[in-house]
Amino acid sequence: MSDYTIIGKRMPRVDSRAKVMGKAKFTADLKLPGMLVGKIKRSPHAHARIVNIDISKAMALDGVKSVVTGKDTEGVKWGVFAYTRDQEFIQTQKVRYIGDEVAGVAAVDEETALKALDLIDVEYEELPPVFDPMEAMASETELIHEDFPNNVNIHVNIDTGNVDENFEKAHYIREDTYVAPEESYFQAEPYAIVARFDHEDCLEVWCPNGGPHMKSKPLSNAFKIPLHKVKIRKITIGGAFGGRSEICPVDYICALLAKKTKKPVKIEFTREENTIATRQGHAMITTHKTGVDKEGHVLARETTCYMDGGAYSSTGPIATSVPFLSMEQAYRMGSVRYNGYRVYTNKPIRGMIRTHGRGFACGLDTQLDIIADHLGIDPVEMRLRNSRQPGEYTSTKSFVDSCAMDETIHKAVEKSGFKEKWGKLPPFHGIGIGTNSVQTGFPMGIRGGSQSFIKFNEDGEATVMSGVVDNGQGNDNMLVQIAAEELGLLPEDIHLVSADTETTSSDPGSYSQVSTFVGGQAVQIAAKNCKEKLFAVAAKVLKVEPKTLVAKNRLIFVKDDPEKSISIKKVVRISLLNFTSVNAEGGYWPKVDMKREWVKNPYGQMCEAFSFGTTIVEVKVDPDTGQVEVLEVTAAQDVGYGLNPLILEGQFEGSIAMGGQGGMLTEYHEWKDGRCINPTMLDYKLPLACDMPPKINSIIVESIDPKGPYGAKEAGMSIAMSAAQGYSAAVSNAIGVFMDSFPLTPDKILTAIKNKEKQDQKV
Amino acid sequence: MEKILITLHINDKPCEVMVYPNDTLLEVLRDELDLTGSKESCGEGVCGSCTIQMDGKPVRSCLTLAMEAQGTRIKTVEGLANEEELSDLQQSFIDHGAVQCGFCTPGMLISADALLNENPRPDKKTIRKALAGNICRCTGYAKIIEAVAHTNNPQESCPDCITGSKTGSKPNKIQGE
Repeated sequence: MSDYTIIGKRMPRVDSRAKVMGKAKFTADLKLPGMLVGKIKRSPHAHARIVNIDISKAMALDGVKSVVTGKDTEGVKWGVFAYTRDQEFIQTQKVRYIGDEVAGVAAVDEETALKALDLIDVEYEELPPVFDPMEAMASETELIHEDFPNNVNIHVNIDTGNVDENFEKAHYIREDTYVAPEESYFQAEPYAIVARFDHEDCLEVWCPNGGPHMKSKPLSNAFKIPLHKVKIRKITIGGAFGGRSEICPVDYICALLAKKTKKPVKIEFTREENTIATRQGHAMITTHKTGVDKEGHVLARETTCYMDGGAYSSTGPIATSVPFLSMEQAYRMGSVRYNGYRVYTNKPIRGMIRTHGRGFACGLDTQLDIIADHLGIDPVEMRLRNSRQPGEYTSTKSFVDSCAMDETIHKAVEKSGFKEKWGKLPPFHGIGIGTNSVQTGFPMGIRGGSQSFIKFNEDGEATVMSGVVDNGQGNDNMLVQIAAEELGLLPEDIHLVSADTETTSSDPGSYSQVSTFVGGQAVQIAAKNCKEKLFAVAAKVLKVEPKTLVAKNRLIFVKDDPEKSISIKKVVRISLLNFTSVNAEGGYWPKVDMKREWVKNPYGQMCEAFSFGTTIVEVKVDPDTGQVEVLEVTAAQDVGYGLNPLILEGQFEGSIAMGGQGGMLTEYHEWKDGRCINPTMLDYKLPLACDMPPKINSIIVESIDPKGPYGAKEAGMSIAMSAAQGYSAAVSNAIGVFMDSFPLTPDKILTAIKNKEKQDQKV
Repeated sequence: MEKILITLHINDKPCEVMVYPNDTLLEVLRDELDLTGSKESCGEGVCGSCTIQMDGKPVRSCLTLAMEAQGTRIKTVEGLANEEELSDLQQSFIDHGAVQCGFCTPGMLISADALLNENPRPDKKTIRKALAGNICRCTGYAKIIEAVAHTNNPQESCPDCITGSKTGSKPNKIQGE
């Protein structure tokens, strides 16, 4: 279908050789001369006023090089938006969750640093805590943040109009409430950071991050130093899943300790700290009210969601919106009213996570299944009647260009045998479908675009510079693949310099699924510009027009006369002899509505493209134990264009593991008085190799987006989301009960089966 | 507490190293011997990121004292390749796309290598069981299981079983490695 040489091929990743040899360096692997060990003193109370902090005993301990408290921070506060700057990097007034930062220590070794933490004497005056968002809104005790009445941190209101009128016209209306507790990222690599100030007083930092430029700006602000003096370095990253998108207090504390001691400082989080003191997914209580006509078309929907935001804002406005946006992209709605409330509680901070609002999405799909059941329509037909179509606008006025939602449904249905199985499976054996859509980015102002530089070396190989970061998903390979394709080189001829704020231009970061669409596209444009320069020189040598030339396999040749060729290396050298270097730049800025804002104006073009996904799941439930055995999962996603099927399949499979197998069956946090009682891998149940379904069918659907690089959009996210929905639908189908509390753990399943038996007996 | 000189046999080489009696093998490998391929992820023997082999058996190095490892043959991820020549298992991981973030990869490879040494052509059920002690958060395990299954048993039907002939399997220059 295409004549690409490298793009679209199952190319193994360029970073995997170093990784299989154990040579890839992660932050914790770094050692710098004179490096100190840093540790954080955390609050043991969920809500308390800080009366006094005495660091004298800690400072006196042999081997302690520095102790920092809120007094050293000059009162700087962090928040993603100007209106959400509610978090001091080290607390000075009060603590708001168990784990809040109150001091930092740098010492010669870990043992000394830990001893010093115990010697820091913090006097607290305990305040009444609140752990439940509904209670927090009604609470008359001291507010968690005094500027936020009723502890409401963020309120997103979206209203297309005509909602009440359309409910009156509806043939059938359902209102249901769905709940889900918090989940966590559990990146394989616990968070770690190394910071130092170099000989030019530049702050140099290595840490896992979702975007180096998103770390450098806040650090530049906090330390009041120019942006060019903050150098976030590239380092191998052990997963992010949305949890490493923004700066954390530990970044600031580590840099502050490095500044005070004039030495490099390394802080490695324990697994428990990674769970408690980075970010978590929001717990949610979501009520969907949906009105349909006789055929099942959604005429009106009203959704109200209360999200447990924890102690600080984090990415609150975004996280309050994305669960809704994903559903408004996936499904057409005649009219809709959304009220999302993110509420402060005295619990750890919640941020963005790969499956945005499992209770929200699974609730919406469960309700569609209930309505379909009432109308006598099957779940597939119900979705086809409401699915997003190309050329439409979403409820919040984003134009949807490429869209193959229906094709993902048809292909997944065919492959899974849904039609043959629906309604015909034996008892406790079920099948379910979920569909979803995610965005490729969102309006980010001056940081919404990415820029790439390419330079040729005299040996005919090229260096590509890009701000895109690889969290483990394969972004490095994506950039190399694109550059090699465009420049006519082999992947091993490309040297990638990326994710380093000293050498690369601003980039939106590798969250919101934007890396390929924006960062990859910037590299493509830079490479095309560079190729033009090569062609201009080659055309003169070959005595042809530049437009007749193509570049492949290290050669430039005439398309219709391949014998007429010259090596790229030779072209570069001829160019240099003529006093011209071969380099180029290229940038891409998505045409989005810059006036769109999460709270103030949630309307307008969100991003340029949306991906669409369908997941169908078949399960067997053991009615005696409530255990779910997943037999087969079929995932189909409209990725725009499959740049690398090998990597795409890996994203689909990983999405099914996190969104479905873990997210819908086993993963959730438990609490006692604000303390997370399962912060480690021993108690928080992540899917293992033996848990995974024996059969996963990955189907890549291509809609060739007119604006994406080679037509590509994003890979895997709408599978992570629809997998959760598919899993929940399949379990509900197996036990004959529409579930409303997620994840679907054996206790909930057994209770549902028993209640159903009782009801059936009454009838 | 005083440090003691011990000898460890790691990747077919004897290493003399000073350790505290309470140092874990993982701490000694990473901090004293610069063998940072073995990772710490959970620190309590659950995740498998620190898996090494002792006398051919997969062992959690975060729960093993360095002193206990004296007199055993230790193999870490750094010992899988013969200099720059990858083992078939390592190459299979690359070719089958079994590596994403790569943090669990060393432990996963060591567990799989131990399995293949005992049972060169295991079925998928056996592999799933053998790797159940290694947590991967990225891949969903499908490609890892396939990579192990096909290491000594390449399948014609598998598009990724064309070892070595594909682009990208050669050393590539990526900053940060």
